[in-house]
Amino acid sequence: MKSVAKKAPLLPAWLRSSRMIAACSVIIGIAIWQLGYEGLARTYYFKAYAINHFFASPWQVIQTFGELYRSGELLRHCYFSFLEFVYGFSLAIVVGIPIGFLMAVHKKINYYLDPWVSCIYATPTVALAPIIMVWFGLGIFPNSLVVFLGAVFPILLNTYTGIKSVRENLINVVRAFGGSPLQVFFKVMIPDATPAIIVGLRLAVGRAVISVAVAELFGSEAGLGFMVYFYSQRFLPGPVFVGIVVLVVFGILSFLALEKIQSWLSPWYTYQLQRQVYRMEVE
Amino acid sequence: MEIRASKLVVQNLRKSFRSQRSEESIQVFEGISFAVHPSEFISLVGPSGCGKTTFLRILDGLIPHDDGEILLDGKTVIKPGPDKGFVFQESSLLPWRTVMDNVILGLELQGVDNSAARKKAERYIALVGLAGFEHHYPHELSGGMQQRVNLARALIVDPQVLLMDEPFASLDAQTREIMQAELLKMWNHTKKTVIFVTHQIEEAIYLSDRVVVFSARPARIREIVKVDIPRPRSLSVKRSKEFLDLADHVWDIIQEEVLKSMGREREEGVL
Repeated sequence: MKSVAKKAPLLPAWLRSSRMIAACSVIIGIAIWQLGYEGLARTYYFKAYAINHFFASPWQVIQTFGELYRSGELLRHCYFSFLEFVYGFSLAIVVGIPIGFLMAVHKKINYYLDPWVSCIYATPTVALAPIIMVWFGLGIFPNSLVVFLGAVFPILLNTYTGIKSVRENLINVVRAFGGSPLQVFFKVMIPDATPAIIVGLRLAVGRAVISVAVAELFGSEAGLGFMVYFYSQRFLPGPVFVGIVVLVVFGILSFLALEKIQSWLSPWYTYQLQRQVYRMEVE
Repeated sequence: MEIRASKLVVQNLRKSFRSQRSEESIQVFEGISFAVHPSEFISLVGPSGCGKTTFLRILDGLIPHDDGEILLDGKTVIKPGPDKGFVFQESSLLPWRTVMDNVILGLELQGVDNSAARKKAERYIALVGLAGFEHHYPHELSGGMQQRVNLARALIVDPQVLLMDEPFASLDAQTREIMQAELLKMWNHTKKTVIFVTHQIEEAIYLSDRVVVFSARPARIREIVKVDIPRPRSLSVKRSKEFLDLADHVWDIIQEEVLKSMGREREEGVL
């Protein structure tokens, strides 16, 4: 056997970690954006086509962020959108989990509700938003309703599959030791379905953030979606990008928070990922 | 008279399932009767699919039977309860509970005070040789260790009878032998009455006082083989002539039954 001399890696280990690579990728992307903008700004086309009314550089976005923050405008919009998100998402949890559960344990209920769930789930929320505005006017309530419609189905459907795929043998274990139906519910069904329900919540977060923006585009007096729309109509790209970035950051943060909640509630689950969890993502 | 002295009596037990395709019912077993003495170790063997596991679940009261009677200490078995300890096949530990929390499950369901349950559990965890692993999760344990937890979980409720459903089926050959020897040690220690379902003939003979051999479906008792090998039995017993003769005998019966059922299936066009 010939021994092959290993080449020393070019970069030290801490620079080659997955997080480091991810961070570098983002930084490089932003740098290209900034440099591209600067380069463009020095050409003839920039003035001729008024490009500063369409694009903003990362640095400008940061500056605009500062201005909007100091004036209090940004916080007002954030507050408005955040309330819509919280109301809509909470309602989606309160409605989605019990209905998903009932559909999973009760055949008749499933037969009655299934066509409705399928229909409304297939309906794009975007198409429903305008009529909801017509019915309920502008404000936090109708917007929260749009968020609710966007978020409730991933939660409902994942709760349904979660409960459906509770392992029969684990139920039998609790029954064999004399567990009552109520004990079977709390000691097996809930914990075994928890990972799937959290997957549903994670999918729902993304859809809820989209719904917040969509609802505010159609009609609103405040909110990040409204802010994006308002400034794009006035050809001011800075605040537009600020709004988008804040929405993105919020979406990512809530997604990560749920990931943490998942590993905290069901640490055993990561080891069981082989088990199929149906991810219900349509659109 | 015999019923008085017996721990567990099964009389004329019959079970059928309704077939999903046609409306006709399928006999799983019928006319099963035998009596188990206190502290006796009984194994059930038979061709695959003969309904051994179904039978054991009926003994526990997990599923209903059609006809006949089960008496545990003279009382009819209607539903599962702490008078019976069930050791399941692999992966029946609750994955979100630590070893400790899995072991106390039975006591918890009965409403036993938590700290008392934990104290008791420590003893049983030590008994199955897992002291120090109380706070591990099932996925952190090997298959053999998981089945030890499974055993402790059944023993802690101090059952009148221990029902074991192929508990070592998924273990590798070496671990299985070790677990068999340890099970006998624990049985000797606790003096529980055990009903042990397995498809491994030598396992059945090594462990048991008597081996109940089921026929193919619809299952009946073909023979109850008495194992007169003195205890304590070391693992080397498995190479003795006495042992091998018994194994051959049981194997002959089962082979006959398997061939019979294959012939029937061929007639019915299943094969």
